[in-house]
Amino acid sequence: MLLIEDKEIDIFVASKIGSLKHIKYHTDTTKNNKKYIENLVDIKTLQKDEGITRMEWSNAEQTEMLIGRKNQQIQIYNTLQGFTKSYTADFAPGEVVGLGRCKRKLLAAVSSGVVKIWSKKAEEVINVGKIDRMRVCADDDTVFATGGEENDLKIWRIGEPAPTFVAKNLPHDWLQLRRPVWVTDLVFLPQEGGRLVGVCSRHGYVRLYDSRAQRRPVIAVDFEKMAATCIANSFDERQVLVGFGRGQLHQVDLRKGKPDKGYKGCVGAVTDISIVKEPRLIVSSSLDRQLRVHDYASKELVYKQYLTSKLSCVLIQSESSTPLSRVEEVKEEKPELGVEEIEADDLDTLFDNMETVSEKPKKMKLKPEPEELPAKKIRPSSEGATDADLDNTDDAIKKLLRSTEKQKRKREQKKKEKKAKSVFHNA
Amino acid sequence: MARGKDKKKRKLEKKQEGDDVPKKVPHTLESLREKDETMLANVDEEEKLEAQKDMELDELSSYYENSYEPKVLITYSDNPHNKTRIFGKELCRIIPNSISRYRQRSSVKRIVQSAIRESVTDVIIVNENQKQPNGFLLIHLPNGPTAHFRLSSCKITPELRKDYKEITNHRPEVILNNFSTRLGLTVGRMLGALFHYEPQFRGRRAVTFHNQRDYIFFRHHRYEFTSDGRRAKLRELGPRFTLKLISLQQGTFDSKRGDYEWIIAGRRHQMETSRRKFFL
Repeated sequence: MLLIEDKEIDIFVASKIGSLKHIKYHTDTTKNNKKYIENLVDIKTLQKDEGITRMEWSNAEQTEMLIGRKNQQIQIYNTLQGFTKSYTADFAPGEVVGLGRCKRKLLAAVSSGVVKIWSKKAEEVINVGKIDRMRVCADDDTVFATGGEENDLKIWRIGEPAPTFVAKNLPHDWLQLRRPVWVTDLVFLPQEGGRLVGVCSRHGYVRLYDSRAQRRPVIAVDFEKMAATCIANSFDERQVLVGFGRGQLHQVDLRKGKPDKGYKGCVGAVTDISIVKEPRLIVSSSLDRQLRVHDYASKELVYKQYLTSKLSCVLIQSESSTPLSRVEEVKEEKPELGVEEIEADDLDTLFDNMETVSEKPKKMKLKPEPEELPAKKIRPSSEGATDADLDNTDDAIKKLLRSTEKQKRKREQKKKEKKAKSVFHNA
Repeated sequence: MARGKDKKKRKLEKKQEGDDVPKKVPHTLESLREKDETMLANVDEEEKLEAQKDMELDELSSYYENSYEPKVLITYSDNPHNKTRIFGKELCRIIPNSISRYRQRSSVKRIVQSAIRESVTDVIIVNENQKQPNGFLLIHLPNGPTAHFRLSSCKITPELRKDYKEITNHRPEVILNNFSTRLGLTVGRMLGALFHYEPQFRGRRAVTFHNQRDYIFFRHHRYEFTSDGRRAKLRELGPRFTLKLISLQQGTFDSKRGDYEWIIAGRRHQMETSRRKFFL
């Protein structure tokens, strides 16, 4: 057996009511505890439209994140300092559906289909049509992609007014009917320079587009009657994780064009997926208010935590780590825990003692019976037995007689007591 | 034989001991229920606060702020048979400010749209199979949630030998019983939001949704206090029926593309791990 080292992983979870939580997840799952869950937003102050819709890392060190809310507020949260800045994206109606950073520029998209690029000097607005999601490429941050209901994937480059790539729908199906389009989420595959984009849809398909090869998807995978809600990169190249509205979570292999693995356990729609590189874990948030952690290889559900509100986004901090603000308390508590353990040990020993005590009377109870039995057996045997035995048994017989007399007395007493208790006698 | 004798003796002894010995709680599936982490009882303050906030900010909160009077539309599957029609009519009598309409082959999504236009706050669709009502879809408007129930053991008033004319027009009192988990609370709140928030106590009508082992039992009574005022005499008015939750979906009805908050289809074996586990 390999002894697995305990590793701490920082998970940030945002919810539909606007709360933000920091969870310190231990790979040694026995250590996980409610103590390691922390609220970063004061719940009392939350208002109706403050639900968090989007959450994204804004720097490579992963110490700062961008948070987009339903009421068009965009906030910057520093994991060490707390909320530092806030902007209002009131240039168009709708909630924030995409956030990103390009060097010093800030990109924000709202659901009505306007992407705004802020920089210190200039502001740029691009109208892209009604969208469900905007994402900035991780490899090349001047590239971003958009997509929505009946608005297929478009890839844009900052500074250019027209999209660099516009996806084309698949040909009509065998009944010559148009295939409906609804991009709910998209992802740039890593190490491809923004060339490959994976797209998932509420109409139940996952498609891979190659912006250099062709406008139609390179690979299309159909999931009949399953509305895909979110997509994320998996561990190996050309593999993505897709979450569905009925609570399924699948890995899709975009080389073979087949669903690969299924991760069970969600009862409600999966809203966001993140991965932990080492050890390989999949973290998913769900509308059933649970955060789940699956093991990548074994597909097992390792950890599940109820977080009281509907979850919308998950982020994992892998480059750096943040201590819990209550960490001192936790540290203080730790030795206490040790003390408790010691106490527990003491208790254990106590219990051990008690057990031995309780065992004794049991034995006492048990012992007279075996004594009785041999006594009964010995007596007939002694009657017709050899002399050698008699010599020794004289005293023994006396003892036995005494003991039997005692037992007789006891029995009589018990009978009397029972009689006294019984109703018939009293009546 | 010996055991039976013992039992007799024990019974007699118990009788003799009298009434001063406290009665033991019998072990039932409910009392031995597996603990659910989403139950609001015995959680810490912070979590309670957040759950409260969660409820304050959800789609049903405006009803519980008494900001509007609910208006309910009751409809059926296409070509309902007699029993389902009567059942709908009786529901109409029970729920104040409600109307019953035939579906006219309209789709649920279109019904929802026109209902929003007519400022209806809730839509009930009763499904029927083999002349028996068997499905109950409850949609809260204008933006969800949608609950789908299985409807069973439905007894309409003629089957209970009652007269529907006994049901008065007074707004009833609503009793929601035993909804303890977070999911249960949402469902209870949805059912409660069908009725006017101010009951007319003069009518002495009470409507009960009693949850037991995930089955929601509906009963409808008229009560009368005894002359000493300590107890109430009940008279059932009917109908009665039982609901069981199949799914709870976010937003208005969209079974194909909607986001479900809770759905049991396809994972029954994973979820129903024990006889003592309940979800509501």
